[in-house]
Amino acid sequence: MRIVDKLNERRVLRKRYRTSRKRFESSVEIPDGLYDKCNSCGELLLVDDIVENSFTCPSCDNHFRMRAVDRIKLIVDKGSFREKGFGYITLNPLEVENYEERINQLSEQTGLDDAFIYGHASIDGNPCVLGVMDSYFLMGSMGSVVGEKVTKAFEYAMYKRLPIIIFTASGGARMQEGILSLMQMVKTSQVIAKFSERGQLYISVLTHPTTGGVTASFAMLGDIHIAEPNALIGFAGPRVVEQTIKQKLPEEFQRAEFLENHGFVDKVVHRRDLRDTLAKILRLHKRSG
Amino acid sequence: MQKILVANRGEIAVRIIRACMQEGIETVAVYSTADKDALHVQLADDAVCIGGPNSTDSYLNMKNILTAAVSTGADAIHPGFGFLSENAKFARLCEEFGIVFIGPNADVIDKMGNKSKAREMMVKAKVPVVPGSDGAVESVYAGIIVAKEVGYPVLIKASAGGGGRGMRVAESEDEFKKAFEMAQLEAKNAFGDDTMYIERFVKDPKHIEFQILADKYGNVIHLGERDCSVQRRNQKVVEEAPCGIISKDLRDKMGEAAVNAAKFVGYENAGTIEFLLSGEEFFFIEMNTRIQVEHPVTEMITGIDIVKEQIKIASGKKLSISQEEVKFNGHSIECRINAENPKLNFRPNAGEIKLLHIPGGFGLRFDSAIYQGYKIPPFYDSMIGKLIVHAETREAAIKKMRVAIEEIIIEGVEHNLAFCYAIINSDEFAKGVFNTGFIPKHIDRLLETKI
Repeated sequence: MRIVDKLNERRVLRKRYRTSRKRFESSVEIPDGLYDKCNSCGELLLVDDIVENSFTCPSCDNHFRMRAVDRIKLIVDKGSFREKGFGYITLNPLEVENYEERINQLSEQTGLDDAFIYGHASIDGNPCVLGVMDSYFLMGSMGSVVGEKVTKAFEYAMYKRLPIIIFTASGGARMQEGILSLMQMVKTSQVIAKFSERGQLYISVLTHPTTGGVTASFAMLGDIHIAEPNALIGFAGPRVVEQTIKQKLPEEFQRAEFLENHGFVDKVVHRRDLRDTLAKILRLHKRSG
Repeated sequence: MQKILVANRGEIAVRIIRACMQEGIETVAVYSTADKDALHVQLADDAVCIGGPNSTDSYLNMKNILTAAVSTGADAIHPGFGFLSENAKFARLCEEFGIVFIGPNADVIDKMGNKSKAREMMVKAKVPVVPGSDGAVESVYAGIIVAKEVGYPVLIKASAGGGGRGMRVAESEDEFKKAFEMAQLEAKNAFGDDTMYIERFVKDPKHIEFQILADKYGNVIHLGERDCSVQRRNQKVVEEAPCGIISKDLRDKMGEAAVNAAKFVGYENAGTIEFLLSGEEFFFIEMNTRIQVEHPVTEMITGIDIVKEQIKIASGKKLSISQEEVKFNGHSIECRINAENPKLNFRPNAGEIKLLHIPGGFGLRFDSAIYQGYKIPPFYDSMIGKLIVHAETREAAIKKMRVAIEEIIIEGVEHNLAFCYAIINSDEFAKGVFNTGFIPKHIDRLLETKI
């Protein structure tokens, strides 16, 4: 008999003789908001670790959805972001039920006036205009306010003669505003045409998901297109396309890497390298004199 | 406290589990798949497997350890030494889970874990530190000015440094320029960062550390010093308490500095303040915010069980003794027994303990986690046990250690007992005049000895 077995035997005996404490009732409870589960690999993760890891999964590199404010914090130099053009009010021209209430509620929750925020910022010392869409705000859909704010962001960049970076994340045009939403595609596209004529730099960063009217307008009009790994980028979703053309789609269809291979995206960049990449591009495109 | 999870393995886990059992506290052991047959797993009331053999999967896996604590209903975690013992994040997590972390609070671990921050704090606490530059030295010329203030010889070191790279000693101003440039170049190549610091080079110092106990109510006492100067590559081999050559005055002075240091940072639980001692001059080097491997020598001369004190402090009890009541009695020496081959550059080796005989008797203690038939896994630290003796005088302690090593039998793996024997028997050790340069200087001679 081995010593381990002998010791184990004694342990069992000891337990039997002990005036055993009442089978414990779990006195310790796991506090809320401390852990989160990765929706890709299922790993249980400390929220702090996720944040520290630029909102990506430490074990499978899955890029989590981010709020616009977190995105700004991640990208810009500390304290350099100055928001512009805040305070738009969304109207309800089509009198969709509960639309205004929903907007007000989201506005209160997120501190944003709509699904887009822009402002003046610097990245590693390089000044630029930065605009970020927030997919937590009605799926980042583009209504009149978003369209107007995107346009204003470009106009501000023209006025300041600065390069502009837009982070897109959107389900497309906003249903609740119907044709008015679709008109934003035209509006944003024409301002970018003007912007380009002046020879200014527009970097479009496509994040998960960028679809519909946003893809079909300003998201795909950048001088440089960067995408985050595995981001869904497309016009109509893969399921709709499959049902319409009645064909099986290639794997990875509409994913960032697929688009990179087919020339629609210039580079897929991991979120942790995004800041450095943007800083580098800005530095290279700095106007001399 | 009713149930403590011991987040460690090996000898220290066994040591802690025994202390808990003696206090009537239930214990939970955690183990990796490689440690299924380890002694600590057999001794504890409950045992939970927390992952694969690699430490990162098991003994460093905070999530699994906390899950084990919650699911077994443990109300406290003792981290031992190494692994998560000085991890502020782990301490913070325990707190959030409402589990007592037996050690100081997370902020103190953070503060003392950062060398430059710790140094800054000690300067404020008026504890002597090795004189040096405040922050980075920009250029050779700025360095020469600093070096003059600090006094030669100076040590030039890279802030990113480690393992002796990016480090140079300059004995005089003539040597300084070359040494600085060499160190800077080396640092740039090795770490991509050439930020340099300068400090006084303390030549052949003794490594003296003070054991501290501090409760939640601001009471701090010290339990005297340990001399840990017998080191090989910063790994301690033989430790003793008290130090053979410190006068009572110096002990009081250093002890007071250590207590002040602990008080200043708001320390709680057991900790160690490490000093370099050169002549009568001593300098703070770092604080260890945990129990240490060599704590038994202090226990032997003070009669205080430090692990039990840790538990008492963590459960909110006041210190039961005052500084005046701490009495030092006799002399104690410890040898660390490692499963390694001194002849092959101390290469660790795993394997089965085929034969084991442990000597006994008055004033002899063997803290270990090995037993006959135990297979040492290759994944962890090579230390397999500590042989500790206690006697009236230093001479008697050395003799007792000598006799004990002559009797002990550990077969099946290579170990360093002959090496320890050589150290114990050397003239320098007998006289007590050795310093941290002792092993490197005499390594060839020490390796020859057979038991």
